[in-house]
Amino acid sequence: MARAAHGSRAPAVSSGVGARAAPSAGPPLQIERIDPYRWRIARDERRGMRVEGIVYADDRLMCTLRDDPALQQVANVATLPGIVGASLAMPDVHWGYGFPVGGVAATELEGGVVSPGGIGFDINCGVRIIRSDLVVEEIRAVLPRLADALFAAVPSGVGARAGHRLRRDELDEVLRDGSRWAVSRGLGWADDLERTEEHGRLAGADPSAVSARAHERGADQLGTLGSGNHFLEIEVVDEIGDAVAAEAFGLRLGQVVVSIHCGSRGLGHQVCTDHVAVMDRTMGRSGIHVPDRQLACAPLGSAEARAYLGAMAAASNFAWANRQLIAHHVRGVFERVLGRSAEQLGMRLVYDLSHNIAKLERHQVSGRAVDVCVHRKGATRAFPAGHPDVPEVYRSIGQPVFVPGDMGRYSYVAVGAPGAMEQTFGSTCHGAGRNLSRHAALRELRGVSIADQLERAGILVRAERYDLLAEEASLAYKDVATVIEVAEGAGLVRRVARLRPLAVVKG
Amino acid sequence: MNRSGARHEILAHTADVGLRVEAPELRSLFSEAAAALAELAADVPAGARELPPERVELEAPDLVGLAYEWLNELIGLADVRRAALAGAQVERLEQVPPPSDPGDEATWTWCLDGTIRLARFEDGDVRPRVGVKSATYHDLRVEPSEGGWTLTAYLDV
Repeated sequence: MARAAHGSRAPAVSSGVGARAAPSAGPPLQIERIDPYRWRIARDERRGMRVEGIVYADDRLMCTLRDDPALQQVANVATLPGIVGASLAMPDVHWGYGFPVGGVAATELEGGVVSPGGIGFDINCGVRIIRSDLVVEEIRAVLPRLADALFAAVPSGVGARAGHRLRRDELDEVLRDGSRWAVSRGLGWADDLERTEEHGRLAGADPSAVSARAHERGADQLGTLGSGNHFLEIEVVDEIGDAVAAEAFGLRLGQVVVSIHCGSRGLGHQVCTDHVAVMDRTMGRSGIHVPDRQLACAPLGSAEARAYLGAMAAASNFAWANRQLIAHHVRGVFERVLGRSAEQLGMRLVYDLSHNIAKLERHQVSGRAVDVCVHRKGATRAFPAGHPDVPEVYRSIGQPVFVPGDMGRYSYVAVGAPGAMEQTFGSTCHGAGRNLSRHAALRELRGVSIADQLERAGILVRAERYDLLAEEASLAYKDVATVIEVAEGAGLVRRVARLRPLAVVKG
Repeated sequence: MNRSGARHEILAHTADVGLRVEAPELRSLFSEAAAALAELAADVPAGARELPPERVELEAPDLVGLAYEWLNELIGLADVRRAALAGAQVERLEQVPPPSDPGDEATWTWCLDGTIRLARFEDGDVRPRVGVKSATYHDLRVEPSEGGWTLTAYLDV
């Protein structure tokens, strides 16, 4: 079936779902090009779609997507009750579970649903960047010491534990207060809260909706990095795109910054696990049927939805407190190694943002203001200048957006642009997106020492399992430059700066 | 393939990882799924010192739901005990009618009793491998196949 392409002479292409397809995927999807950066999956392409699917990609990215079950997942998300606008896939989209990673969906508060799978297991996984007044030459000689000290100070790896186990009442305070809990105990600066999404505390947190097992999993994990694609990086700003925004964010060429990427650890994973199970059992009662049980959902306003949103907010607050504590450890390490206070080193937070979360927001849909629940699964808020939710200090510029690449190349700092509000419910990409499975990466790089390879490129690595570093090698990821080019081309963000890794701590 | 005729393989997934397990009957299928998860999540050498085995009892309205509960129990318990999953044995897996209306099979509940074995990371060469956050419902299947049963699951890592 060929479709007329809108705004392009390019023919429709088949997703050609093949070897990597989920067996329930059905026949190949037709997808048509709208313009150089957007593709459409028509509403009649799959039974039950309530809106169309829009995929942000250029020809290069679409080549890698044609065989990816992510496109089927975009169509599946379009079947959720109350979804408005379109089921959206950001330029880093890839195969997830239920939702694709890089998926965005807004559901109307009236008649819509919340789906925990649309937020993901690592609730409020996110990124924060700390700037400094240091230039790369000042730390070159002590870089190995900094890397070793960071690796020692921030527990990382599977099942990483903090030195301190929180009592139930202490943990519930964390779940209610997020970053504020840490800052009020001297584990951060008051200014950090101003520069954190939601000021580091999502309202409506309900610790009683967090199960005993989730509490138990989180009790000794606060201040830990975890494993997988989580990281702590010392980086240098090696390119400036938008000089005005860079100055507003406190970034300049040659400057040293630190990025922290992690989430809500076992506590958040358990919250999602528990509430998916509940909704899987109860959604039939509401007459809801979904094409993938991982899309289990509940009507907004129902007891199940209220419980999930309360638990999700609690897990989000845990994640913000987690990144706040890690930032405190990072500042401490720099102070000890460089012999100056973090204030003297100018180690101010640039921003902290979430990329696995649901938010109740108001957006324009077909010319009317609609209150929606925006699911961002592997997607980042990208609010433009003037939006009231952008911190006052950045309001004339726009919200900082961080798009990490892989540990061997570079990452980007961008700023939210008006196109994001017009097209994507104020959202954009969250990273490079994987290109190869973990197994395929290990197979391709058998016998190669990634740590040696990186060291030859001037990048130090500290990891719990050096033999598994290949899973996170550059080869396993798309080039984030291509991803950010699409986001910028589509008008979702503007590039501000590029960051190159100097030292990487991996879980 | 083990002595019960069960076997498993790891499936590729762009961001995460999958398991496919085959066994002649349901109990060994679920036991083998635990073996697959254990192999994926940690290196537990033979003879590693184990914690006292833990008994679990689970139930779900269908077999797929039971697989979700079982895999997530294995993941969650190992995390809570700060230990590696070493294996598990399913002793009972059956469909049980509700006392009120045993006539309608659609209302029957699937029940599982099992024993989970864990090994502490601090002991010897027990080392974590892949951090598994959760088993997902995405394409989770438990279905009859030639010579027995097949379980397919995708895990968030």
